[in-house]
Amino acid sequence: MTAQIELKNVEKYYGAYHALKNIDLSIAKGQFVALVGPSGCGKSTLLRSLAGLETITSGAIHIAGERVNDLPPRKRDVAMVFQSYALYPHMNVMDNLTYSMRLKRKPRAEIEAAAKEVAETIGLSHLLDRFPRELSGGQRQRVAMGRAIIRNPKAFLFDEPLSNLDASLRVHMRKEVRALHNRLGATSVYVTHDQIEAMTMADHVVVMRDGIIEQQGAPLDLYAHPANQFVAGFIGSPAMNFVDARISESGEAARLNLPGEPLIPLNGSYPPGRSVIVGLRPEHLSVVGPDAGLALKVSMVESVGSASYISCSATPELSFVVEGTTRLRSGDSVHLAIDPDHVHVFDAKTRLAIGVVN
Amino acid sequence: MSIAWTNRMLLLVALGLAALYLFPLYWMYVTSLKTGSEIFATPPGMFPASPQWSNFVYVWETRNMGRFLWNSTIIASGTMALTAILGTGCAYVLARYRNGWIDLALFLVLMLQVLPASLMITPIFVGFSQIGLLNYPQLAVILAVTAKAMPFFVVLVRATFMSVPGELEEAALVDGNSRIGAFWFIVLPLARNGILVSAILIFMQAFGEFVYSKSMIQASELQPASVGLNTFMGPNTTEWGNIMAYATIYVTPILAAFVLLQRRIVSGLTSGALK
Repeated sequence: MTAQIELKNVEKYYGAYHALKNIDLSIAKGQFVALVGPSGCGKSTLLRSLAGLETITSGAIHIAGERVNDLPPRKRDVAMVFQSYALYPHMNVMDNLTYSMRLKRKPRAEIEAAAKEVAETIGLSHLLDRFPRELSGGQRQRVAMGRAIIRNPKAFLFDEPLSNLDASLRVHMRKEVRALHNRLGATSVYVTHDQIEAMTMADHVVVMRDGIIEQQGAPLDLYAHPANQFVAGFIGSPAMNFVDARISESGEAARLNLPGEPLIPLNGSYPPGRSVIVGLRPEHLSVVGPDAGLALKVSMVESVGSASYISCSATPELSFVVEGTTRLRSGDSVHLAIDPDHVHVFDAKTRLAIGVVN
Repeated sequence: MSIAWTNRMLLLVALGLAALYLFPLYWMYVTSLKTGSEIFATPPGMFPASPQWSNFVYVWETRNMGRFLWNSTIIASGTMALTAILGTGCAYVLARYRNGWIDLALFLVLMLQVLPASLMITPIFVGFSQIGLLNYPQLAVILAVTAKAMPFFVVLVRATFMSVPGELEEAALVDGNSRIGAFWFIVLPLARNGILVSAILIFMQAFGEFVYSKSMIQASELQPASVGLNTFMGPNTTEWGNIMAYATIYVTPILAAFVLLQRRIVSGLTSGALK
């Protein structure tokens, strides 16, 4: 597999502010990569650097084998879908779609054929004469996608394209974007702050924070083996519980820093006596009979029908999920069992995941 | 007092102030139609008894008004064109970049706006005469008025540019446009209204310009209508009917244009503020 997009030691400064720190990233042809992270983590800066809208301070960016560091956006042959869609308000849908082709002075017949085909792909054939202001949010979003598709570019860049849509439309468009990617087989880089979007759409997820890549990999790898506490807390919904703990003398259990100092079994052996943070996903905690597990008090129950999210009053707060509805009410006692296969252990200082000592 | 009452009172006050403000304009129109004796009658009549339409024809012919108005048009058009060409680029840069230097530049631009023409005319006159610009007096006036009108234009058009989202430009860049192409084909069409309106306002301002023209243009065949009107009036003038007819001919086209374009002007001026 050849890399369609390759970033090597990319650094970006805004004055004294270090926005991108030594970014190394390789994106294979046809891959759908999601850049995800909290706001200000540098994911948009990275995308804009790929597009050529920002110049990087040092390092190298290659697109399809060509070094593009010093190329202006128009020479990079990438298409970008903006968060605000950035449709040209003074042009109708047809003109918006074909703007890039008209800039290249393609023959009229070719332009019209391409516009027709793309309009069908995105389901907007009947709206070609409309102006952006006459379209709904979802339709504008499609036009923005169409404007990218018609170019048949080396890569698609998406800058939070779904965040302006309402929740149900967002879920729908998520599938559509992914289906479109599968059909076109193009390389896509997708920036989002929504980890669910990243997890559901991408083949490869890059989690960023403060200008560095915290971890990258297949979505379920990130979920199952987060490299550090940040990734563990960022990926997965509801978010992972973290409890301070100390590894027992045997190295095969952790003593949680909770009232009664409960001991939970670990799968494998860890450095005895080490101060750690134990990560427990809400979906990996299960309710058991009154004589086993962690004894806790329920503080809040949020039920959505298919599942119930239950918070327990502990410091820090612990939450867990049960399928369907629950009889538990605020103030009830509950006992939780922990599956040792799903306990994540992080070093208390470095916050990095600790591997099993064999 | 109820709210309806307050509103009615305020409306009355507003109407009163508007009447007070517009009264001179009304008086100009009325006087231009009065006979000589009517103008000096006490108490003055609010309406002309027998409208003297011949005043207009007489003034137009004897005062060579066609020439004067043509000169005014040349100066106003020249000023408008120069301001629009130079000011648009300036306003764009001031709108798109944000740093301390830009703030300083804006401050200086606004400073220029503060200086009155009657103060600036002496140094401008000396400077222009030294480089020989006074041999082309209309050009000299156009340059001086442009300098005077520029800050106003730049500040207005900057607001217009700021209302055009930067992402549109970026989309155009990624779509394959150059920086200049994106400005020319994406930003400029979207800022067109604001630029047009500002240019029209500059035209109107330059059309009525007096101080620079009076000082720099000696030859009467090159003078604009404002200076022509001034030479019409002397210490012993009694021809008020004719002078007002002159003023009417001079002012009415500008007024008509303003009334016709009023809605666009208001929306053009506020479009930057509301978005």
